[in-house]
Amino acid sequence: MNTIEVVHLRREYKARMGVIRRTTKLVVAVDDISFEVKTGELFGMLGPNGAGKTTTVKMLTTLLLPTRGTARVLGYDVAKQADKIRGRIGFIFGGERGLYWRLSGTDNMRYFASLYHVEPEVSRKRIPFLMELVGLGDRAKEKVEGYSRGMMQRLHIARTLLHDPEVLFLDEPTIGLDPVGAREVRQLIRNLQAEKKTILLTTHYMFEADALCQRVAVINKGNIVALDTPQALKAHVADLSVVEVEVFGVPVEVIERVRSQPFVDTVSVENVDQRQSLHIQTPRGSEAVPDLMNLLSGLRIGKVVVREPTLEDAYVRLVGGEA
Amino acid sequence: MSAEALRNNGRVAWAAFVMTLRMQAPDSFTLFTIVVQPLIVAVLAMWMLVERGASNAIYVVVGSGMTGLWSGLLFLGGNSINWERWTGTLELLVGQPTPVAVIVFGKNLAIVVLSLSGMVVCYALAALIFRQPLSVGQPLLFAGSLVLTVVAFVTFGLVIAPIFLLSPAVGNFQNALEFPIYMLCGFLFPIALLPGWTTPMSYVLGPYWAARALHGTATGGADVSEVLLSWGMMLALSMIYLLISGRLVELMLKRARSDATLRME
Repeated sequence: MNTIEVVHLRREYKARMGVIRRTTKLVVAVDDISFEVKTGELFGMLGPNGAGKTTTVKMLTTLLLPTRGTARVLGYDVAKQADKIRGRIGFIFGGERGLYWRLSGTDNMRYFASLYHVEPEVSRKRIPFLMELVGLGDRAKEKVEGYSRGMMQRLHIARTLLHDPEVLFLDEPTIGLDPVGAREVRQLIRNLQAEKKTILLTTHYMFEADALCQRVAVINKGNIVALDTPQALKAHVADLSVVEVEVFGVPVEVIERVRSQPFVDTVSVENVDQRQSLHIQTPRGSEAVPDLMNLLSGLRIGKVVVREPTLEDAYVRLVGGEA
Repeated sequence: MSAEALRNNGRVAWAAFVMTLRMQAPDSFTLFTIVVQPLIVAVLAMWMLVERGASNAIYVVVGSGMTGLWSGLLFLGGNSINWERWTGTLELLVGQPTPVAVIVFGKNLAIVVLSLSGMVVCYALAALIFRQPLSVGQPLLFAGSLVLTVVAFVTFGLVIAPIFLLSPAVGNFQNALEFPIYMLCGFLFPIALLPGWTTPMSYVLGPYWAARALHGTATGGADVSEVLLSWGMMLALSMIYLLISGRLVELMLKRARSDATLRME
């Protein structure tokens, strides 16, 4: 049985430009996506910034009206039957906003418990339990303005669990968290999934999607470019190896030269401080290293590593090296 | 509406009321708007009154206090939805099961109740600093008028809050709306002093009938029928404001969901 059903969903925006001569430009945030999430499934959405992940979540949580297509959550249409959906879902959007900074963590929780019609005797027990669960038990009475970004993120997570929703939409829930905090949140998500909650998770972190999700949709430029299990997605790059080359100050034309080689599948560049890390996908594996060194001659080169592809490499291939 | 829905909405309105009191009471802008500003108005009016040897200081107390009520409603109540948008909480309020209008009602009620403190401070000023004799002429009718004044102001606030979000252009003139309402509603002087063509505008404003009832019962000597007329008008206008605000909030949410303006990025 499907809890979420999305059919040819599209969302356009009108972007306004100019001061004197005002013009509008049509921006397609979500072009045409269709997918379904089964009851109790943990479904992931992966994609670069601006791919349309958050817009999709906002439509599914009834905060945005689709331009075209339909989406149903728990059997109800998100555009026409929003009232029937809202009390049964929970959602968080990454970031520090969306909290009352002058109130304590507990006061924020109390307020949202009232909004979600949680009975006072239930919320009296549930709020301290959730605050402990997200590691804020000892800071619960402090004003939110003194919380770190990670603490605010954890408070968001506690807030969304207040009314024990059947469906959870988690838009980058580990963003801004330290590694330990992020690991705890991932464990929390696993526990929620064990309770058979339906979860739609968007993330930038491939290992997070790999570790948590039963199926992953890779979204790029408003379209789903792949939808499968993490294992099946990794199979997209099973014939390739990844050569990671650490370089300092690599010019764009050199990257383009590497990219144009027949033995190179994709190239992505990760900037780390003063250096760049080139991730080159190639079917030739370590045999490609001498040719790559020739192409990069004259540049200061650091570490060179040849490894098996990961979900991240599959993702890079699917979105065309834009990650 | 079922009994359960009524109970749930009541709880939400109360939660919004308490939350707003806790958020707004320590805020310096709130303090200035609802206490300092009416106090300045009261000091100036008291001086004029003392200079002229007039004796109706209670009129000044009520009028100055009402300026605080209106300023509080205009700047705090009027921005009650916009403020949620600025802080990123509007999406959360829209995405939960209670109608947003219930939350705005609780917030506006808190602001109006908080703004009544301005009237208390003006009373203390007149009594303690200016040593003016202060007594409420018809205390029971005054108390009844005060309750209906709160209703009239809260419902009026329910109309202006969605308008400021629907039309940022109107919001740009927010400051300019402060003094015309003082005058049109007769907070500080009777509207009979204004040109006749402004009178119909006063009649459709709930705060005008509130000022008329409060001034009449505070200074004493108001006909009961006249007070009842003001009460009836406050109730009738409040009902109309509720109907208008219901449609405006619906329109505001539909447009915000369509234009993606629930969140300010």
